[in-house]
Order: sequence, then C-alpha cells, then structure tokens
Amino acid sequence: MQDVFIGFSAVGWRELVMFAVGGALIWLAVRKEYEPMLLLPIGFGAILVNLPLSVVWEHEGAAGFLKVLYDGGIANELFPILIFIAVGAMIDFGPLFKNPAMIFFGAAAQLGIFATMIIATLLGFDLKAAAAIGIIGAADGPTAIYVANKFARDYLGPISVAAYSYMALVPLIQPPVIRMLTTKRERTIRMTYHETGVPRWLKILFPISVTLVAGFVAPISAPLVGSLMFGNLIRESGVLERLSQTAQNELAYLVTLLLGITIGSSMRADKFLNVTTLMILGMGLVAFVFDTAGGVLFAKLINLFLPTDKKINPMIGACGISAFPMSARVIQKMAAEEERGNIILMHAIGANVSGQLGSIIAGGMVLALVPLVAG
Amino acid sequence: MNIDVQSLREAGATVQAAFVSLGGLIGVFSTLAVFYLIIRASEAFGRRSPTNE
Repeated sequence: MQDVFIGFSAVGWRELVMFAVGGALIWLAVRKEYEPMLLLPIGFGAILVNLPLSVVWEHEGAAGFLKVLYDGGIANELFPILIFIAVGAMIDFGPLFKNPAMIFFGAAAQLGIFATMIIATLLGFDLKAAAAIGIIGAADGPTAIYVANKFARDYLGPISVAAYSYMALVPLIQPPVIRMLTTKRERTIRMTYHETGVPRWLKILFPISVTLVAGFVAPISAPLVGSLMFGNLIRESGVLERLSQTAQNELAYLVTLLLGITIGSSMRADKFLNVTTLMILGMGLVAFVFDTAGGVLFAKLINLFLPTDKKINPMIGACGISAFPMSARVIQKMAAEEERGNIILMHAIGANVSGQLGSIIAGGMVLALVPLVAG
Repeated sequence: MNIDVQSLREAGATVQAAFVSLGGLIGVFSTLAVFYLIIRASEAFGRRSPTNE
C-alpha cells in the first residue's frame, strides 16, 4: 500500500518550488513569448526531472531518457556544436562586409563577460566557476552551455536559464542602459548606408579564413568557430541549398527541442534551489548591462576621432552582443523613436553578426586562458 | 614566462580573473581585427579583379 503512495511521500517543498519555477518558465514562453523555443522545453524539463523518484533521470541504477540525452548531447558538447552549425547556416555576413568597421563592436560588447568574471571572483567564486558565470555575457546560449559544461557543470542549469532568459529580455535591458549613457543628440545621429554588392567568393572565403585564423589564435575555440563557419560555408557555397535549408530548419528545430528539455533536466531541486542560483541570475543581468555599456562607450570613444559627418550612432555599439537579430531590431526601434525616419538597421545588423563572431572568440579565449592560470 | 604563469597560479582568483579579462579582451579585439583586415583586403582585391560579381 505504501508503494502506491510513494509518489506523494517522495516529494518535498523543494520539488514543489521547482514545479513553480518550471511553470513560470512555461508561462514566460507562452504568455510573453520570451524565447519560447527554449524556455518552454526547459520549463517542462525542470518539472519532469523533479517528479517523485526522478525516474526520467535515473531509476534503479538505469539511466532515464533525460540522462541519456544529457550524456549524449550536453556532457560531450554535441548539442551546442550542432546548434552552431544551424546558426552558421542562418547568418548572412553581407551587412558586415558592407561596413567592416562594425566588427569591432562585436569585441567591445564582450566586456560583460570579463567584468562579470571579476565580480564573480569578488563574490567568492573560484576562477573556473566565475568564467562560466561570466560567459552568460556572451549572450549566446550554445557558447554559455559549452563553457559552463567545461568549467562548472553544477551551475549549467542556472547559467543556461540566465543566458536564454536575458537574451529574451534584451528589449527591456538594453534601452535604459543606452539612454543612461548617451545624449538625445547622439541617439539621433544618422548614418549613411551604401548598398553595394558583395562578391560571392568573399562570402565563401570568409568562413574558411575565420576558421583558420581562430584555429591558430585560439585552437581550443575550433569546435565553436569551426561548426559555426561550417554552417555558414554550406549557406554561402550556393551549391548545397538543401543542406543549408536542412541546417536552418530541421537540424535547428530538432536540436533546440532536445537541448531545451535536456537543459531543464539539469535543474534538479537539490542543485538548483540555493543562494548561488540567485547570485548567478543576478550576475547574468550584470553581464548584459556591461555588454551594452561596453559597446556604447566604445562607439563614443571612436566618435572622438571621427569627423562630424562620419560619426557613429553610439546605440549601434549595443548591437555588438550576440543576441541576433533581436538587439539590432531593438536599436532600430529606438532610433526611429528618437527621430522619425532614422534608419540604422543595416549597420546594427553588421554589428550584431559581429557579436556572434565576438562571442565565440571570447568563449575560446576564456577556454584557453582560464586553465592556463588556474592550473 | 613560466615564472609569470607560476606567480599567476599562486595569485588570488580576482587577480587571475583580471589577467584573463585583459588577455581575453586583447585576444578578441586582435582576432576580430584580423577578420577586418581579411575583409578589407578582399575588397581591395575584388576591386581589381575583373571577375567581380
């Protein structure tokens, strides 16, 4: 008789709280449409893994289906890599080729990663955990998962949730930071855009060159950069249209589906419900704020050296984060609100795709440097 | 260099994080600068190339 009610007796308040957390993520996905493709599966995964006895994870010594997915897709970093192939197939570097200077905003807006890493160490985290937390500032889910899995597997759940949640909240996070750091006059700066053709060979050569350079500068970043650029090469080659479409659609959707629910399975009550999780969520927000500030301030710095008619709208700097294309859309909306008819979208997209490059290079740098100094 | 790395390994986590941050930012800027040069060089080459589309 006792076995019949074991489900009720095996659940505690912590599991009930996790059901609420999972429910809140599903609510955000359905009601607010915040990254629904990720937050809904993550929320449901969090509910599943906290059910009594956690059978979906492990039962009577046998791995449950979520543990099988975790071992086969997260622990060995397969899912983030597959997502990168899909993302690479979706990226059009055209706007960047037309205004290559935008690439530097992709570097400046990684400031949040490093600032947060320092803050995390001040709060008592060791360097590897701090690096994993800082990488939330990459504003790039797969990179965050990849680095967290290498350095702080116990924090994978909160780091992933923070990364995807704040990416969804970019329209709320970036505008106040930008307004605080810029004047109305700066926000109304207009930028000319010249529509020029980009030779096909450049589009093909670029992913190969990027892979080679990144492979030499930070060899440990090769899986991240290589998979992203492989996807992009498939897209730009012009001879693999079906593979490109498959990567952009079927592969992206299938892996996203499995990635989300598997990440959710890392949110077990005993590991997730603690002060550390709250600290990680707080520092994730700090990372996004510093990213935005880094990009905007860098643009203002550059403007000091540019003639009046060549000045950059500093809001463009905020697009250097990897949240594509949301950040570019947010900035264009802000520009149009500040002055009707001010179109800076293509510059913003150029900076935004640079952010995708910058985030994986920053991830590679962290992966290379942290073991060097942490031993 | 080995001595420097050794002293970093013995330093506190915040000092280590500051080193990683400095090195990381320099690394990201320099790598993207190389990509910038690749694009610019390709443009220059493309302008001279008769097969430019």
